Formats: sequence, C-alpha cells, structure tokens
Amino acid sequence: MDTKFSNKPVNLSLWRGVAIVSGVFAILICAMVIVNYLQINKVDPVNTEVINTLVERLNENPNDAQLREQIREMDLLVRKAFFTNQWEVRTGAYLLLLSIIVMIIAMQVMKMGKKNLPSVDEDYQQNIIQYQKNARKWVSIGGSVLIVVTLILAFVTHKDLGTRFTDAAKVAKAETVASEVKATPEAEQEAAKPVVAEKKDVEKLEELKASEPEVKKETKAEVIEKPVETKAVASIKKYKGEYPTKEMMANFPSFRGPGGNGIGYQKNVPTEWDGVSGKNIKWKVETALHAYNSPVVWGDKLFLSGADANQKQVYCYDKNSGKLLWTADVKDIAGSSAAPEVTPDTGHAAASVSTDGKSVFAIFSNGDLIALDMKGKQVWSKNLGVPDNHYGHSSSLVVFEDKLIVQYDHKKSGKVMALSTKTGDQIWSTDRKVKVSWASPVIVKNGGRVEVILAADPCVASYDAQTGEELWKLDCITGEVGPSVAYANGIVFALNEYASLVAIKTGAQPEVLWEAYDYLSDVPSPIATDKYLFVVTSYGLIACYDALSGELYWEHEFDNGFYASPILVDDKIYLLDRAGSMHIFKADKEFVSVATSNLGEKSDSTPAFADGHIYIRAGKNLYCIGK
Amino acid sequence: MSEILKYLTQTWNLKKLVTLLSLFVLMMTSGLPLLAQQQRFPKPEFESGYTQPVTSMPEARADFFAWFDVVILILALSLITWLILKKRSRRGVLAVSVFSILYFGFFREGCICSVGSLQNVTLALFQPEYSIPLSALAFFVIPLVYTLFFGRTFCAGVCPLGAIQDVLLLRPVTMKTWLQKVLGLIPYIYLGLSVLYASTATDFIICRYDPFVGIYRFDATFFMFSIGAIFLVLSAFVARPYCRFFCPYGVLLNWMSRFSKHHLTITPNKCIQCRLCEDSCPLGAINKPVPVKVMEDRSSATKRFIKLSLIIPVLMILGGWTLSNFHENLAKVNSKVRLANELMLFKADSMLPSVEIEAFKSAGTPVEELYSEAAVIVEQFYIGSWVLGGFLGLVFGLTLSGLSVFKYREDYTPDKAECVSCARCLKYCPVEK
Repeated sequence: MDTKFSNKPVNLSLWRGVAIVSGVFAILICAMVIVNYLQINKVDPVNTEVINTLVERLNENPNDAQLREQIREMDLLVRKAFFTNQWEVRTGAYLLLLSIIVMIIAMQVMKMGKKNLPSVDEDYQQNIIQYQKNARKWVSIGGSVLIVVTLILAFVTHKDLGTRFTDAAKVAKAETVASEVKATPEAEQEAAKPVVAEKKDVEKLEELKASEPEVKKETKAEVIEKPVETKAVASIKKYKGEYPTKEMMANFPSFRGPGGNGIGYQKNVPTEWDGVSGKNIKWKVETALHAYNSPVVWGDKLFLSGADANQKQVYCYDKNSGKLLWTADVKDIAGSSAAPEVTPDTGHAAASVSTDGKSVFAIFSNGDLIALDMKGKQVWSKNLGVPDNHYGHSSSLVVFEDKLIVQYDHKKSGKVMALSTKTGDQIWSTDRKVKVSWASPVIVKNGGRVEVILAADPCVASYDAQTGEELWKLDCITGEVGPSVAYANGIVFALNEYASLVAIKTGAQPEVLWEAYDYLSDVPSPIATDKYLFVVTSYGLIACYDALSGELYWEHEFDNGFYASPILVDDKIYLLDRAGSMHIFKADKEFVSVATSNLGEKSDSTPAFADGHIYIRAGKNLYCIGK
Repeated sequence: MSEILKYLTQTWNLKKLVTLLSLFVLMMTSGLPLLAQQQRFPKPEFESGYTQPVTSMPEARADFFAWFDVVILILALSLITWLILKKRSRRGVLAVSVFSILYFGFFREGCICSVGSLQNVTLALFQPEYSIPLSALAFFVIPLVYTLFFGRTFCAGVCPLGAIQDVLLLRPVTMKTWLQKVLGLIPYIYLGLSVLYASTATDFIICRYDPFVGIYRFDATFFMFSIGAIFLVLSAFVARPYCRFFCPYGVLLNWMSRFSKHHLTITPNKCIQCRLCEDSCPLGAINKPVPVKVMEDRSSATKRFIKLSLIIPVLMILGGWTLSNFHENLAKVNSKVRLANELMLFKADSMLPSVEIEAFKSAGTPVEELYSEAAVIVEQFYIGSWVLGGFLGLVFGLTLSGLSVFKYREDYTPDKAECVSCARCLKYCPVEK
C-alpha cells in the first residue's frame, strides 16, 4: 500500500549518540542543580558563623582596622558565593531543560527514521456505549467530589467577610471623625501661635476667631454622638507639676541623670584629676560584683548593682566617705528563674538602678525587679519574666512621681510599663510593636505633658507618663537600637548605627526636621541643648550639629572609643572614654577642650554627678572625684 | 515561497495588496514618533557601577510593533491554514510551529498571546476605566474568526504555548477516553475563574500561572520553572497536556471550531475505511464510525437524555449555591480584600505590621475607604460565584446529557471541537485527491 511516510534515510547512530549524550548531561546537570539549590537554602549570607565571630571580636577591639577590613572582605565573599550559587541554579535549570529538549528532538528524529507503518487491529471495535457509561460515571463522580470539597472548605473557612468589612468601614469612619475632633483644639492652638506673635496678621486672627464658633459647634455635636471622642479628648490632661523635680535635679537619681536625658544640674564640678597619682581622687573602693551599670546618687547615698550568673546584689555607699553602707542580696523572688545566657559585654546587670529618695529599684538579666528602702530592706519584688534578649537586658530604670518606668522590649513582645514605686503593682502597661531594644526610657516634660520617649526598631515613640497612652510615634529607626534618645526644646534626637540620626519635632503629628547619616552610634547616647546636638560614636568621634537645622558645626576625633554616655554639666560636656580618660569640653558651636583627666582604669559606665563630685565606676572599682 | 506568492496572487487581487501595503506604510510612519519618545526620560546612571535591573514584564510595545505583531499573527494564521487545508503538509505545520516558538515565544516573550488576551477583553467589558489595547483585542478575535471558518489552525502551530508542547511529542500514550472527557472539563473551570478574576480586576491568573512564559522570558521562579519543565517533559508522552486539560482559550476555540465549515478532513476524498488512521491522533480526536448495531435502544437512550437534560437547571443552581458559599475564599486572591482582611485581624498592640500594612499606612489612604472597597469586591465575588457556579453546572449538565447522544457515523472524521489540526493524521491516509 502506498503511504506518505517519509523514506529519507536518517543517520540513526548519530542521533542515538546525541540522545544519549544529552540524556547523560541532563542527569548530571539535574543532580548538580538539586545539590546547589539545597546549598542555597541552607546558607544565610547575612548571618554566617565566621563573620559573627569576627564581629564579636571587633566589638571587643573596635579600633582594629585590619579586622574590620577582613570582615568586609569576608562579607563580600559570602554574598558573592550566594549570588553565584543562585546564578548556577538558574543557568543549570535552563541547561537541564535545553538538554532534555535536545534529547527529545534527537529521539524524534530517530522515530522518524524508523519506518514503522501503521498497523490495524482487525479485532478491535470501539464500545461507544461502555465509553459513554464510564464517562458519565466519572464526570458525575468528579463533579460531586468538587461540590463536596468546595462546600467543606466553604463552611470551614466561612467568615462573613463582606459584612465584617462593611462594619469595619463604619467603625474606621467613626474613629477618623473622633481623631479629627481630638486634633481640632491642638490645630487651633498651633494655628493661633504665629498669628498672635505677629501683629501684622491681626486680621487673620479675627477671621480665625469668627470661624471658631462654627468649629466648636461641630465639635460639640460630634462629641454627643460619639462618646469615645469625649474619652479621647479627656485623656489629654495638662501636667501642672515640674519634671524633673528640684529634688531630682539636686541629685543624680538614674542613668544619665534626672529623667535619663543626659543632663546633670550641678555646679563647681572638678575638671582635673589623676587616678594614678591620686590627685583630686577623694576615695576609691572596690565593688563586690562587676557590672556595666552606672552609679546613681540621692542625698548622701550612692547606689549601684552587680551580678553574675549566680548572684545579684544591690550596693549602697556613703557618697562622702566611700563606705559600703549595706549590700542587699536579690534572691527568693517569686517566679524568678535562672539567669539567661548573656554576652560578656552586657552582663547580668547592665541596667542601672534608679531611686526616688524613698526606695531604690534594680532590675537584672532574668527579669528580677526589686525595690529596697534606703536602708537596704526589701519593699517589694517581682519577676517580669525572662526577657528574650540575645545580648541581655540593659534598659535602665527611671522614676516618674510614684511610677517606676520599665522598658521591656524583647523578642517575643515589646512593652513599656509603669509600676507603683510603693507596691510594685502595675499602674499602666502599653504594648509596643517593636523589635528588641537596649535603649533606656527618657522622661521629659514637653509642653503640657510629661512624656516617656523610647527608641526601638522601627520607631521612636512617646507615651504619656501618667496614663501610658501612646502620644505619637514615628517610624524612623532600624536595627538593634542601643542609644537612648536626647531631648531639648521640643525636639527629640534619636540615632542608631547603620540607620540614621533623626531630629523629630514632637507633637500630635511628629515630623522629621532633619536627618544625618555620617556619625552614628551603637552604644553611647547623644545629648542636646536648645541650640546644639552632640553625637558620640563608639569609635571615638564626636560631632556637633545645629539642633534646628542639622548643620554640622564640628567633629573631633579622640584616640579611644566611647561606651559611656556624655553628660552635660555646668555648660560643659563630660565624656569618659573606654580607656578611662574624661574629656571635658564646652557645649558650644566650636570644639573647645577644657581638660582631659585620666582615671588610669578602663571604664564603660556613665559617671554620676552630685555636690561638686563625680562618681565613676571603672572595672571593679568605684571612684569619687573631688575635694 | 513562490507557491505562497502564487496562492496569494490567485486569491488576492492587486488592489487589495496595494491597500494593505499602504496601510502598512502608514502604520510604520505613525509609529516612529513613539519610538523617539521612548528616550525622553532616560534612566539615571550611577557612578558606583550599579546596573539597572531588567524588568520582569516585557516593556509595552510601541504601537507600530504591536500592530506588526498583529500582521505577523494574521500572516502566520493564513499560512498555516493554507498549509493544513490546501497543502496538507505536516512539515509545514512543524515549520510554522518552530517560527511561533521563536517569534511569539522567545522573541516576543509570550506576550501578548491570545490565551491571555481573553482576560484583557473581560477586564474591558467589566471595568469601563480600562482601555483595552486594540492589538490585544485583535489577538483575541482573529484566532476565533479563523477557527470559526477553518478549525483550530491557531492551535496547530501559531500559539507558542501549543507549539512548544507539540514539537516535543515523542511517544504519545493512549489515554482512556472517559479520562480525557473528565480532564477536559478542567479548562472550563479555569476559564470561569480567569474571567471572574479579570472581571473583578483582581488578577490575570492565566498569565501568572502560565507554565511556559517564564521559560520564554528566562525569568521563571524556581516553582514556575518546575511546573513548566513538568509540562514540557509530560508533552513527550501526553500530547499537549496544557492545551487539552488547562487552556481556557481552548474552550472558546473548541466552541468556534464546532461550526467550522472548512475544517481539516483526514481523507482528501472519500474514506475507504482502511482504518489506518484509527490510532494516528495523539489527542484521541478522531471520531470513529458508529454503526447502527452498537447503538443503544432508542427509547432508553431518549429517556436518559431527557432526564439528564432536565437536571441541568438543578445542577446550575447547585453549582451556583456551592460556589457562592465559597466566594470569600475566591475573593481573598484580590489584593485589596487580602489587605483589608489582614488589617482587620491586625492587633496593633501585640503584632508587628506586615510590609503591606506599612505600605498602606504610609500611603495615607483612609482605612474606611479600603474596607468599603473590599466589601464591594466581596459582593462582586458573591454574584460572580453564582454565575460561575451556574456556568459550571451547565457545563457538567451538558456534558452528561451529551454523553447520552449517539450520532450515526460511517467515516473516520476529526472531532472538530477537540482536533487541533496538527495534521499528523494526514499522512496515514492512502487516498489521493
């Protein structure tokens, strides 16, 4: 029988060879791609053991430029390897596909070359009735399965989304109206300021006044309709007291001074001393347990804490003589558990104690929190739960009136809370959607309210110190935030290494005044005056900015790095470097060094100032400087 | 080539050719200013040596090239139709297939394709603010028109998705006919879903889950590459698995092809019942003769047909009700619904916001607007699910009742609906013209 099948000869052995080679190639490539893909999935280029170890070493020796360079090279290498692997997987996958296609084409050609004429099975007869029966059966089964599965899924996952969205839209609209009402008085206030200040705008003021009754009417109407708004408006109570109080200013009650803002309100502070010769060193005593926390002072008493993995202690010294008045062992606290793992550069008592003159409060790495009276007797204690913090908890305590403010941002959850200084009971607690942070709370009086300001990835946020209500929040900071914020003149300054330095104009609608990226810090906190901002880096550089514009006035580099935070005292900045030298310079537009005095011992703690004396914790010793 | 010219001159007169050429020149000249405009906003250059990433979607074509593609489509369709119907050449089909893979596939990166264009058309019908590119409309309509007259010659070798599977077919396995029938219902579901998602401006799921487009563009994710590779390897043993069991556009072509008057015939003359072509179709799309003796008795077949026809409305209501209950899950594919749902479940005091939530908040859109829009979309999905469910109920019902009908047939003929005119069967027929 004549057919139209091709009779052209095909080189079968050649095409068989092509098919075999491309087949073997495909298998090899396939194996390589799978191995490579598995490798990529295992490797996390930004978190390798080798680099992490090197970074830890660098943290111990921040000035090791060679090590720094080595880390950079290593990091680049790891990243390159990662992307090369990715490229290999992609290219391999296409090579695999190509080889399979070549193999199939070769087999196609081979097939064409084989002259197999169609065969006819004489006995075969199509049973169309059976086919239709089977097809009807399976179409029915398929359809039924689809319906059953869909219905099960539908009823399991049913949520009445449409109605919920409609309700949520109504609620959201009501909330927007509420916040608009809440914002109105402030908006008026804001609008009124420049109008009052400048006489030429008197007409505008009159226009504004004329429009006021209407605005107020609307506001009242809304308040009647929505009781939520009344609550919101009522919650902003003007704070009439002073913060920090005169008593606090006369002392040094917490880390970085009253409110933790880096300012000491002392006069006649010494500028020259020498630890080796003993010049101007009033006394020097040894502390029992080492820790990185800083001393605080109230009246004649100086407090600090110490801890290791097994024991925790709070110490009280006579600030005039250096005599150890009492030691309080912190133990047997209900709910307390063993100390978690912390890094050696943080330790088990990195957070400084705080005092209100009636009690002293201390917190430790396992979440143990204790209040002792001025004689060392326990007033109350509690355990806040072991913080999930890979370096160790280091946020210091600070007191506002009868409230002990505790920042407890750790991996599982973030919160800031106020505990009663008398009983330890929780007065308020506000959840924070932030990552773990090491910064301490800063409490300042800002206009008509006292704010607790905190910085943690991703935001700088402010809370009403009386109620815990979040006042404002601005997403502007990233990474592992160590430095606390600085505040002056309504502006909050926050920064973190590998992020940026931001100046935030506070208010209901906070805004970034300016940002800078050149000098950032991972440990020491900045300090601010009405005019200037001083940024200290851990690698030994200080920069001074215009607080309002962000203009860089000066920068100055020192030989050693800084972990201690600077303190502004008597218009001078006291800054202790890691080698134990105190650099004292004017808080001014130009760098003017006043003095540099050596303690002769390494230190990472921030000094305390009281009654014309400076108290410095260095290594295992505590120094009092002054006459 | 000379044969093509000869054919063209036979069927086209000179006037038509001149008109066509004039149009071609006009389009070229109107496209030039657009080409010049492309560089008005050049990309910035970086001193650090940073190179601009390549966009994952092909850039919009200038008008001229878009119309050029349409011309190529028409030429390719005309050529392959001529090759199939007049020349009856499988080799010709293969050559056009290779061209389509290279041009519509690798060069044009699989976009725009007729399969995906049905979503553009749907979107244009349901969302008045969307202006459909005329080339997209042309890609949708032209293959349908050709199919209406000549059968699925588009599938044969012009569609780059079909062509790449077709050229790889090596050793086709014979699938059970009932299984083909059941799997053949999947494209209806896919078509319904793609229309639902396109009409609600949710997504173009045909493009998103196109198994070959990532390979044509060399930018597939590992997952999509794996799916594409599975389809290609499967194509060596199962003829055109994507075309037969997934392609939603194939459903429309299937409908059109049923009415095609000039469809490919296996024999160029009278069938001599030699049965040589019986197993020649890898798609199983040859209708075998149905002699009277195998037919079921008329009365029982008629009764069943009537019964099955009567349950069609029931199936439609059941399908509609079932899917309407499922509409929330379908709606969650919509990005606005998903975001609104996420936002509603988001607890600001104990959860970190996702990137989507942060982006939404930073955009400053009032949240009530999002919720309202999401509520409207969910409502659209509710109605859409009733329609889709009803449609699927109809498809299942018609399939069932259609499986109770016998047609007396003497010759071997291509199943016009399923046949993709690949021309493989032609060489099996010993009959000359």
